[in-house]
Amino acid sequence: MATRTVEVATGIPALAAERAVTWPKRTKARLSNGLEVILAEAHSIPKFHGELFFRSGNAAAAHRSPGLAEMTATVARTGTTRRASRQIEEDLRRIGADLSSGAGADTSAISFAGLSEFAEPLLGLVDELAREASFPEGEFERERRQKLEEVKLERTDPGFLASERLRKVLFGVHPYGQVSPSEEQVAAYKREDLQAVYREFYTPENGILLLVGDFDAQEMLKTAENVFGEWAGKKPDPKPTAAPANPRGRRVYLVHVPGAVQTQIVAGCHAITRKHPDWMKLGLTNSLYGGAFNSRLVMNIREDKGYTYSPRSGVNALRQHGFFSVSAAVRNDVVAASLAEIFYEMDKLRSVPVPVPELADAQNYLSGVFSMGLATQDGLLSQLSVVALNELPDNYLETYRQKVRALTPEDLLATARKYLDSANMQIVLVGDRSQIEEQAALFGELEIYDARGARLH
Amino acid sequence: MKRLQIGIENTKLANGLDVVIAPDSAAPVVTVGVYYKIGFRLEPQGRSGFAHLFEHMMFQGSANAPKMQHIKLVNSSGGMLNGSTSYDVTNYYEAVPSNALERILWLEADRMRALKVDDENLKNQRDVVKEEVRVNVMNQPYGGFPWLDMPPVAFRNWANAHNFYGDFADLDAADLRDVQAFFKSYYVPNNAVLLVLGDVKAEEGIALARKYFGEIPAGPPPPFADPSEPEQKEERRGHVEEKFGTLPAMAIGYTIPQRRTTDWCAMALLDQALQGGRAGRIHRELVLEKQIAVEAGGGIDDLFGYNGPTQMTTRILHKPEYSSEATLEAFDHVIRDVRENGISSDELEQLKVKWRSDYYATLEGGRGGYMPKYGLMHLLACFTLFDNEPQLVNTILDGFLAVTRDEIEAAARKYLRNEKRAIVFRTPVKASAKEAA
Repeated sequence: MATRTVEVATGIPALAAERAVTWPKRTKARLSNGLEVILAEAHSIPKFHGELFFRSGNAAAAHRSPGLAEMTATVARTGTTRRASRQIEEDLRRIGADLSSGAGADTSAISFAGLSEFAEPLLGLVDELAREASFPEGEFERERRQKLEEVKLERTDPGFLASERLRKVLFGVHPYGQVSPSEEQVAAYKREDLQAVYREFYTPENGILLLVGDFDAQEMLKTAENVFGEWAGKKPDPKPTAAPANPRGRRVYLVHVPGAVQTQIVAGCHAITRKHPDWMKLGLTNSLYGGAFNSRLVMNIREDKGYTYSPRSGVNALRQHGFFSVSAAVRNDVVAASLAEIFYEMDKLRSVPVPVPELADAQNYLSGVFSMGLATQDGLLSQLSVVALNELPDNYLETYRQKVRALTPEDLLATARKYLDSANMQIVLVGDRSQIEEQAALFGELEIYDARGARLH
Repeated sequence: MKRLQIGIENTKLANGLDVVIAPDSAAPVVTVGVYYKIGFRLEPQGRSGFAHLFEHMMFQGSANAPKMQHIKLVNSSGGMLNGSTSYDVTNYYEAVPSNALERILWLEADRMRALKVDDENLKNQRDVVKEEVRVNVMNQPYGGFPWLDMPPVAFRNWANAHNFYGDFADLDAADLRDVQAFFKSYYVPNNAVLLVLGDVKAEEGIALARKYFGEIPAGPPPPFADPSEPEQKEERRGHVEEKFGTLPAMAIGYTIPQRRTTDWCAMALLDQALQGGRAGRIHRELVLEKQIAVEAGGGIDDLFGYNGPTQMTTRILHKPEYSSEATLEAFDHVIRDVRENGISSDELEQLKVKWRSDYYATLEGGRGGYMPKYGLMHLLACFTLFDNEPQLVNTILDGFLAVTRDEIEAAARKYLRNEKRAIVFRTPVKASAKEAA
């Protein structure tokens, strides 16, 4: 609880009249093979940025093995029927391009950026990786061994251990419940499994191509048609998964890391997806709670109490289910004190309407920061990606600010009561058991695990 | 080949404050930065980590904007803010809708004019900084490796060799007198540059700079310790324990030539040849081909942003079944090859195209999208403070695009020598690594 009286600043210049925010025109098309294309011009630098998304990720491949879409994306960039790995990397450098491939829970993606003057050869390479990846045996084997070391290494990172445990607790056996494969699962990966995922996911009907940058949209659309037009393939069949149980009652999960000099706290509960009508309300509530530097939680446990450097809360939207979470890495002796404040601020938002001036500040913050995406190619690309992947309305960008500004203290009170589910928060603590177990037990029934996930208590 | 030309206006106010305006009305957003020419390299001896702790104090209150008001005013205007401390500069920056420009200039001027902090603020931020060090270094696998482990091994001058994040004893010893003395010495307009980028007209930006900053009195020229290093004549090695990670690691750093020389340009392209991503020779040989390492790469950190001795560093995490000696031998094989054979003209052409493309990405770089024009701001600030020449953003590329094969080979022979390097081995406490080094 913030105890000191807050002084106000004096002599502050008022804000000038706002300049209108104009989002650039989007050119949208669907190629004859079903590939959706979205283009926007942005001429800040003589480059362009792009994403080729596929609407299937690790969750859609989970019935084969966890993390398989990620492994497929990793190996897909290491060879095609026409180019070996070294050739691909040198060709990218030759045209000044960067390219990466990866997969999250819900999508797989080839992400790229390059000089506008070499747009066609870069798109050509993206097309080749999406259609003709050859999964060379040697490259697969190397990436698999590499991944084995990586999955061992991530178990030494407190942030990873915390988010891994939270996802397991929130989503159980649902594919969202496992964020990374085990060593045994990686060891069992087969090249044929990757190829099957590749054939199924990497199709034009399952894809969205987004390009933002220094080009003429109509000409770029023609180039995209020429490059990607020959490609063919169906949308994969959706694989329905049972909804995960929503855990009831506060519980505490301690991941024991001997010798840890700090405790990573993360707590979370089920929330909503990006398409849900309450999304903006929850976004604004989160921004007041712990989503901004000026938020209540940051002011309380950082600026007033000095418990932590990095407190933050967020709404995490996955395609099927979202979750709300709050995290902070704190001194070992203030774990209980930090949790008390985390819940205090949550409960306060659930019981007392937000004062109007504070609400106005938060509305200004959220609508101002939203427009920052306009100023850079990759910022604009990420805004367009959110709209496209979540199938949000075409005017989403244009109407966002006014929708945020229309929200009232009553909206926020109702939203906090619904989604800042204080009584059912699942608490994960990653730290040294000997230093924090007693504090942990104050907040609910306690389970203790080691870093490999084995139950200790 | 399309070349980017950034429009810049700059001036120096009577109190010595440099002002640089880079107008661009494409989006109704403006980025404001104030850079002070003092970083952790030249912080006071016995006060390791102080420059960074002080940076935190700059958010704790000034004459007319008390604690919590800086953050509140920027966020509630629709913007983001932050600050960072590096070797030779400390910066404070905000990105806001352009209707908040005056308010932000007022805020930055208020804290340049008079810091107003107390013991409670200092204790609070000392606690925050300790948690920052724990979350980034002490409680993190390979935390601070190699940026904190390398300097004490590589350098002999305290300025370059000390713990930049700060020993906790030194952080504890810092008091309010240190805060005010540091502020008085280094946070004067004649040791700073104000940058305004984005939705502002040049003449308007300069007029507002005068209005808000023009009356702040200049200070005496700040005292700067000599950061130069005695000539290195032998390879240096050091060992550090890794508490959490499972893989043995090492970092190799070569001291690089003085900035803005022909050798420096050649070294930057050589760095690209050696560690430019997956096409770079070090990653290719150690990770992709020989498969000794899980990670091998690095580079010259912030090429334009330092103003004293620095290194080109490679960080390697290798598989436990390879000894440190075997891993280092594989690394040395890459270095020997480039020293003996240089690079082909085809490779040099690739490097130059990539360099140009990367340079534009640097200018556009926005700290993860929330701070538009951060990269351009950083370069303009460093070129102003170190070179008194902000227009270098438009011309510095030429030097890199003119580098020849001979210059690259010469730079490799001159700078990639064992007696010019330092190596730090970071060895897991628990792992069964075959330690041979």
